[in-house]
Amino acid sequence: MSHDSQPHDHGTPEPLPRRDFLKVAGFSTAAGLALAGCGRQRTAGEPALPYAEQPEGVIGGRPVWYASTCAGCGERCGLLAKCVDGRPIKLEGNPAHPLNRGRLCAVGQAQVLGVYDSQRLAQPQIGGQAASWEQVDQTVLGALTAARDQRRAVRLLTDTRSGPTSRWAMQQFCAAWGDCQVIVSDALSHSAVGEAHLQTHGVRAWPRLHLARATVVVGVESDFLGSGVAPVEQAADWSRARDLAAPDGRYLYHFQAEARLSLTGAKADQRLPLRPGAAAAWLQDLLNRVARRLGAAQQEATPKPDPRLDELADRLVQARSSSVVLCGLNDLTCQLLANGLNLLLGSYGSLLDLNQSSFQRLTDDAAVVALREELAAGQVGVLLLAGVNPLADLPDGAAWDKLLRAVPLTVQIGERVDETSAACRVLAPEPHFLEAWGDAEPVNGVVSVQQPVIQPRTAARSLVESLSVWSNRPQGGEALVQTAWQAAVWSRRTTDQGWPAFWDQALANGCVEVRPVALPSSVPQALNVAPPPVDTAPLELVLYAKVGQLDGRHAWNPWLQELPDPISKVSWDNYAALAPETAAELHLLEGDEVELTAGGARLKLPVLLQTGQAPGTVAVALGYGRAASRRFAAIGPRWIGAHPSVNDQGLVGGNAAPLRRWADGRLLDWAPVTLQATGRRLELARAQTQESQVLPAHLAPAGDPRREIVQATTLAAFRHNPQAGAEPLHHGPSELWGREHTYPGHRWTMVIDLNACTGCSACVLACQVENNIPVVGRDEVRRRREMHWLRLDRYLDPTSAGLDVAFQPMLCHHCDNAPCEVVCPVLATVHSAEGLNQQVYNRCVGTRYCANNCPYKVRRFNWFNYPHDDPDAELVLNPDVTVRTRGVMEKCTFCVQRLEAAKAEAARTGQPLRDADVQPACAQSCPAGAIWFGDRNDPNSAVARALADPRRYRVLEELGVEPAVNYLRVVRNAPAAAEESHHG
Amino acid sequence: MNPRVLTVVLSVGLLFSSVSLAMQLVNLRPPGNNQGYEPQQPIAYSHRLHAGELQIPCQYCHSGASRSKHAGIPAASTCLNCHQFVTASLGAVRAADEAAKKAGRAPQPVVSAELRKLYDSLGLDARLQRDPQRPVTPIAWQRIHQLPDFATFDHRAHVAAEVPCQQCHGPVETMERVRQQASLSMGWCVACHRTTKATPGGRPLRPSTDCATCHQ
Repeated sequence: MSHDSQPHDHGTPEPLPRRDFLKVAGFSTAAGLALAGCGRQRTAGEPALPYAEQPEGVIGGRPVWYASTCAGCGERCGLLAKCVDGRPIKLEGNPAHPLNRGRLCAVGQAQVLGVYDSQRLAQPQIGGQAASWEQVDQTVLGALTAARDQRRAVRLLTDTRSGPTSRWAMQQFCAAWGDCQVIVSDALSHSAVGEAHLQTHGVRAWPRLHLARATVVVGVESDFLGSGVAPVEQAADWSRARDLAAPDGRYLYHFQAEARLSLTGAKADQRLPLRPGAAAAWLQDLLNRVARRLGAAQQEATPKPDPRLDELADRLVQARSSSVVLCGLNDLTCQLLANGLNLLLGSYGSLLDLNQSSFQRLTDDAAVVALREELAAGQVGVLLLAGVNPLADLPDGAAWDKLLRAVPLTVQIGERVDETSAACRVLAPEPHFLEAWGDAEPVNGVVSVQQPVIQPRTAARSLVESLSVWSNRPQGGEALVQTAWQAAVWSRRTTDQGWPAFWDQALANGCVEVRPVALPSSVPQALNVAPPPVDTAPLELVLYAKVGQLDGRHAWNPWLQELPDPISKVSWDNYAALAPETAAELHLLEGDEVELTAGGARLKLPVLLQTGQAPGTVAVALGYGRAASRRFAAIGPRWIGAHPSVNDQGLVGGNAAPLRRWADGRLLDWAPVTLQATGRRLELARAQTQESQVLPAHLAPAGDPRREIVQATTLAAFRHNPQAGAEPLHHGPSELWGREHTYPGHRWTMVIDLNACTGCSACVLACQVENNIPVVGRDEVRRRREMHWLRLDRYLDPTSAGLDVAFQPMLCHHCDNAPCEVVCPVLATVHSAEGLNQQVYNRCVGTRYCANNCPYKVRRFNWFNYPHDDPDAELVLNPDVTVRTRGVMEKCTFCVQRLEAAKAEAARTGQPLRDADVQPACAQSCPAGAIWFGDRNDPNSAVARALADPRRYRVLEELGVEPAVNYLRVVRNAPAAAEESHHG
Repeated sequence: MNPRVLTVVLSVGLLFSSVSLAMQLVNLRPPGNNQGYEPQQPIAYSHRLHAGELQIPCQYCHSGASRSKHAGIPAASTCLNCHQFVTASLGAVRAADEAAKKAGRAPQPVVSAELRKLYDSLGLDARLQRDPQRPVTPIAWQRIHQLPDFATFDHRAHVAAEVPCQQCHGPVETMERVRQQASLSMGWCVACHRTTKATPGGRPLRPSTDCATCHQ
């Protein structure tokens, strides 16, 4: 075929030129193949497997909800597990539960993934070898008998397990083995609260906080809305205490004194940056001022005039018996001072409840120290560890390693292999809480059932079952719970129900309220304590727990790793947060790696500049650098430019626990520290980098640099004019859009109360679980490719006198005149008759014009396929939501699958769809109840009422896109002075 | 190569591919359209017999249709509601009776080969008692009506709107082996959603043509 380049010989017929031949041949082959492909008949695929025997109550595809109890943290919220075809796929709060009232936090939402985690410990191990439960029981019982015979101690070191069944099983176990004790140790310790109450009230108890009734709350390093003891309950109460429509006109005033900017501090009306070393002196000062006003003054020198502190003392005293001082430091002096203040203010009995005390974090630091001494003295024969990880959580982890190895038998009872596992001889796997029977009593008198909702996926056995075997009274989980309940819960009933009815009702409701266990009481007395001198170290380290990571027990969970911290907006890392002025003094820039040295321990972390942090402090999150995060080495898309989500050590972040310290038998989370720049630079994965509402000069319209994305006002201004704080539109209504849409049926609308939103990020996680949103990994987040449909924006107001922080959940606004719709060349995003902006994945060709044209920047593009890092985790996918593939745009759908299911259900029952019948995942989970969703065309709907709120505004209203998402202005209870400077 | 030969070869090739294309065009369909799909099933279950001749209502077995997204394939235990008594066709039972009468012995229970598969799935022995030695294994049916992953269909809403099952599934009561009658294409769905204004009983309906009704 080489002759086509030769001169043509007219004597022979003209050959087909090679190119034409190839064209014809290529076309016909391609056409043939394409048509053949079109016409291909389907061949047998995967079979459809129905049940062999139909289980009662199960209808394929129809969700069944079981009431159970969350074990994501110590709060122990009641939950409802949505099970479809036998698999739990979504957790929601149990509305019947008196503490969390139908809400659930981000950590709780993320727990369902654990059921499908293939890296859980599947089988018991002895000395690193797989073993059977019989072998384990033989080994443990043998060692227990030997310990009893040799008069050595048996110790159970556990996190807080306050359920009646756990208590009962531990009692049985201790009774069986002589010198046997249970030691409670939570990584985030509140031990000093109990100790302080032992001294002031004669009982080692943690009072339950009733924040809803408070009018003044002062938080000292207390993150009660974020990583505190009961954030879901407190967030709901906090926003109830700030109800602008309260008939008596009460409105909570919240003052926060803290070193780092916490979630709680971000919501405070006034905030004082305060180093933890100076907290005791500050509390003492406040106590003196309050005592002076109440005529109970200790005869001391007149305090220095401090208008701010005096005003605070005035407010506290004026609001006596509805004001409270909360201290989050694990320091006895501070806690005694706080108790003294609360006794003076009459907070006990009104806001602080010792009868219905909290059973949520009952850590006893002194007992842990004592255990360490016993271990060092070789007095312990058998040590059981349940739900604790001392090697990673305690500052002296390395010493614990040696101590544990020296014990004749150490048994670790837990879900996963962790840092401590290597030092333990026997590993006894514990099931996920959705696989096992159990219970919880988070608050004295509120008992909730933990019911399994799926067959265990591993050969695990719960702690209570194991203890029953090791007490020589083996019983199954359900029988154990029932036995314990008959003895310890039914006996405290307030009704005259018989046992079967009582149990059935408790099981169906998920919880039951009974008489609280009576605690010893004595006449409370305030103690005079002398605060220690103020620590004058030039730089102080503050260790804290992040909202999504807590103490690090969920470091295996990719959802929580990718959840941006609501304050720093960083995901996939911890860091050394510094105030900008401190960093400037130290000549550090964001991203500089520094080596922190505290008490002989060192840790290398990148620097993050955090506005609002107390100067002279370094804040580092605990719970990072966990062995469990090794699994993320390969998470995220693998392409030539990819960077791993883990650091040089193969871990996510660095473990700051070695920087903690023991002092006076208590675990302290602050210490003097020194910083040394290493010269390396690292880039953090920050999900939001623009945080000011003031535009840079070169972008701002002349004379108007402010963009009130978040609008705010003060309480006084609001009372004067409910529309105070409204921003005038930058220009008149847009003439670009006509009114094209009519909404004859439903018209879905959302209203988000920014005043109530605490930034807890429960909505972000709820959305992720509900809508099959993938995890993309650190590198992709760094490239602004995170996939969260609902993001939580955080804004700082640099012009205000204090530090005004505002959170704003930002999601698709479902605009009536959606700019995305008009630019899509393939009609993949179109408007629905109910006001939804629909995204049709199978039509989308990925031009990304829509994302470019979206004023709210809420559209997410699938740059890659993002499968779960763990293939088993595909089982958690919501079957009602399409899994998107590479090259497709996606965004919030207002949980259209829930809307459609509710409509179908309404059609089935013949009832009209009512407002409360349908809630998107974000609104359902919101602990503060800040999100309303519903049908605007229904004048009686909650959302229609919320729309009439004078605080309502819409973001970028002047664009004329008519968004369906509305916001309610923030109302700060700021004092008059600040108000004048801001609004005068 | 001689250009003449090449032309002939190409012409023959073109003719051949045209003929095969024309044959393909007869049942040309867009990808994913499985109209006419009629796979072999693990048990030769006859819808003609059960739904047609015996007039068992569709939802007796496909009970999810009114309450769930999915109509569902019945569990093997549902079949047993009748088939614990009916173990073979009437003809086979009569023949066995005749043979027993002739031989002058008591008639033996007769179990048809197809029903034996059902009993095996439930781990039942010859006397239809549960035998713990035998495993319980679900029957691996071949699914016929299947929508792509990006589309969803809620049976509940359609049953509530009184849409007869046959409107989408065809005359199943006449099918020995079930065949996909409709194309299940989007155009086919939307055509009905556009034209339907009321239930057969006259209750007004307003079927949605919003994308998100099916694409969620």
